[in-house]
Amino acid sequence: MPRQVGSLPLPPHQRARLQAAGFETTDELQGIGPCQLAEELAIPREEAMGILRMARGQEGPVNYPNALQLLVEEQAEDGLLPTFSSALDDLLGSGVELAVITELCGAPGVGKTQLCLQLAVDIQIPGCFGGLGGQAAYLDTEGSFMPERLQQMSEAVITHCSRLASTKQERDQQDALKTFTPDFILGNVFYFRCFDVTQLIAQSHLLPDFVDSHPKVRLVIIDSVASPFRHGVDDAALRTRLLISLAQRLAQLASTRRLAVVLTNQMTTRIHPNSTQSASLTPALGESWGHAATHRVILQWQGNRRFANLIKSPTRGEATVEFTVTSEGIRDVPTTPSLPATMPAIPTASMFLSSPTIPTSLPSTSTSSNLILKSPSALPSLHMTSASMPPSTSASPAVLGCTAAMLADAASSCINAMTAFRMATGEKMTTSSGSSPS
Amino acid sequence: MASKNLRRVGLPVELCSRLAKQHVVTCQEFLTLSSLDLLRMTGRSYEDFPQLMMTISKHCCPKTTTALENKKQHKQQSAFLPTSLASLDNALCGGLACGSVTEVSGPPGCGKTQLCMMLSVLATLPKRMGGLDSPVIYIDTEGAFSSLRLIEIAQRRYSEYFACQKRLLEMTSRVHLYREFSTQHIMDRLQVLEESLVETGAQFVVLDSVASAVRQEFDSRLPFSLVQRSKFLGQQAAFLKYLAEEFCIPILLTNQITVKFNDRPTSTLETTEEPSVEESFVTTALGTTWGHSANTRLVLQFLNTQQRQIRVAKSPVAPNMDFSYTVQSSGDDDDNSGE
Repeated sequence: MPRQVGSLPLPPHQRARLQAAGFETTDELQGIGPCQLAEELAIPREEAMGILRMARGQEGPVNYPNALQLLVEEQAEDGLLPTFSSALDDLLGSGVELAVITELCGAPGVGKTQLCLQLAVDIQIPGCFGGLGGQAAYLDTEGSFMPERLQQMSEAVITHCSRLASTKQERDQQDALKTFTPDFILGNVFYFRCFDVTQLIAQSHLLPDFVDSHPKVRLVIIDSVASPFRHGVDDAALRTRLLISLAQRLAQLASTRRLAVVLTNQMTTRIHPNSTQSASLTPALGESWGHAATHRVILQWQGNRRFANLIKSPTRGEATVEFTVTSEGIRDVPTTPSLPATMPAIPTASMFLSSPTIPTSLPSTSTSSNLILKSPSALPSLHMTSASMPPSTSASPAVLGCTAAMLADAASSCINAMTAFRMATGEKMTTSSGSSPS
Repeated sequence: MASKNLRRVGLPVELCSRLAKQHVVTCQEFLTLSSLDLLRMTGRSYEDFPQLMMTISKHCCPKTTTALENKKQHKQQSAFLPTSLASLDNALCGGLACGSVTEVSGPPGCGKTQLCMMLSVLATLPKRMGGLDSPVIYIDTEGAFSSLRLIEIAQRRYSEYFACQKRLLEMTSRVHLYREFSTQHIMDRLQVLEESLVETGAQFVVLDSVASAVRQEFDSRLPFSLVQRSKFLGQQAAFLKYLAEEFCIPILLTNQITVKFNDRPTSTLETTEEPSVEESFVTTALGTTWGHSANTRLVLQFLNTQQRQIRVAKSPVAPNMDFSYTVQSSGDDDDNSGE
């Protein structure tokens, strides 16, 4: 309801200038920016801003969210989503990050679905073990989801947690284990089989409501985003538009409800007609899709070994690590790999020696999985870092499967900022992390 | 479900006719348009529009289940077709998974067609013998199927069961053979396959082979041809996956292999196991995109004149392992002299 300018509780000189400039009601102050008003009234911009706020009926200055608040929010999360391979967790920075989209690209058979299944189990690890104790929504477009494999992985995770509980003898861990059974884990993975693009789009519209009605869902997996779009949509422009709107919806969902969103993509062969390389492998769905995900990981074969290459991340540097898939799920390789110095950043067709090729010697993948079962040092262990951590970081959340070195160099700057803030609020901070005092 | 008519969704009639004037008739067409276009077409307000979107999405969305229910459902139906090669069955946790597509590829003469025929015989066997007790639909694109060989495999492998003539004839009458030699015919056959599956009650489909017709008709060196080929293969894969999951049956495909050179475009050679050129390597045909389409991939190769090897290249349940086998008159057999 428009008010007379004269009735606003303003200092007299401002009121006088407003009336001199011809403003009678607050309606006339709509649509004018503070700079223009300041110029017309010959007052400082901050005063002009104050007048405008009063005219709109707002009480005081608006609260601008700052990076410190974001940091507080992030650190308040009392759990992580690990992959159970400390190398992969290190690559991504203490596991898969919440509130952002992570994209996994890779050739067929390299382990994308396996990693998705592993994450669907890991999201459910109870809080007393350092996990998030949440549920997962799995949108399957390829039909590779096997509940039997999920059961296998669940049993391995339960065994690991029981081992931890028996060494620590904590009451809440023992209690949590009573309900943490394979059936419980499988029952917490919501499964949607989308056969075509329309179903996928429809389900993505319904996901926000679904997540609201199931507030424990902390992970959304789409395996894979590529197949329905590549085969179902012919027009490239339409495909790009649909993909981008899907990505925006997912990004909004991830950010507002603090979920982790994991997408799987395929690889396609790009022909180079004019260069020395005849063809190289590149993630499918085009260049514009490359901007959709926050973190992008390419899983590739080299011979019989699997590597994960982080090619896009705002927080972590580009790196390549090796991992393996065993009967228990995703794990580290038993010995530290020496990465070949000549590994190119973009996988070429010759590097894509996926298993359909015929090697001259028989690979011994079965023996490597036996090694992992027998050597306890390869098992990711919770709390192994607590003894070696400096005391100032003891306030940090329990980290599952991460090495002390990872914490020390990657996350400690954030954690130091956090503990410093908690210990002495209001003091100026001198950290180099992403926080800035308001 | 995507082609569901908007009228059946329960939208008001005037809205449907208004959309129909703009050529938006099915749910798919509705959902692929941008919000702005839809606002203009429906004439709804910005506040009312999300409700409309939700209604239509709910009619197109898949059913919500959990992994636990999935597992229970798997257990009830026979989840696998055992291949009768014990070590392979062990690795694949039971055999060819029902509800998914398995691809077998290998050089010529390796035994792909033999494997297909042996599995066809197996599928017709009663459940107590490890079969599915059902008819089989066999789509042959190479002309390699032979009824006599089918009978020979049955007689030698399961001699006691097939001792009487009647059972042999019954078995052969349950294998429905379709010979399709061009991509158009194959696509037509796949489109009626859903009806054939319902009418015959078949629980096993074999397509031998995916590659031959495609490679004759599409020259992969021409870019336009490549696009057409990918489109055809994509449609084929989508059909087969849908059928496999809808009827919860295993589907077996065979594929060929090709030789890739590092710096030259792909060429196809028919006779190679050890590529003579150093930088070349042998891989499955039809490219990387097709590689994503099958759920499970097995690769056959020769070890020596007697022995061959199956390798599990991609599987959601099994690690990548190799097994040896031989082809004998009784079909494929485990090689007990070592793996």
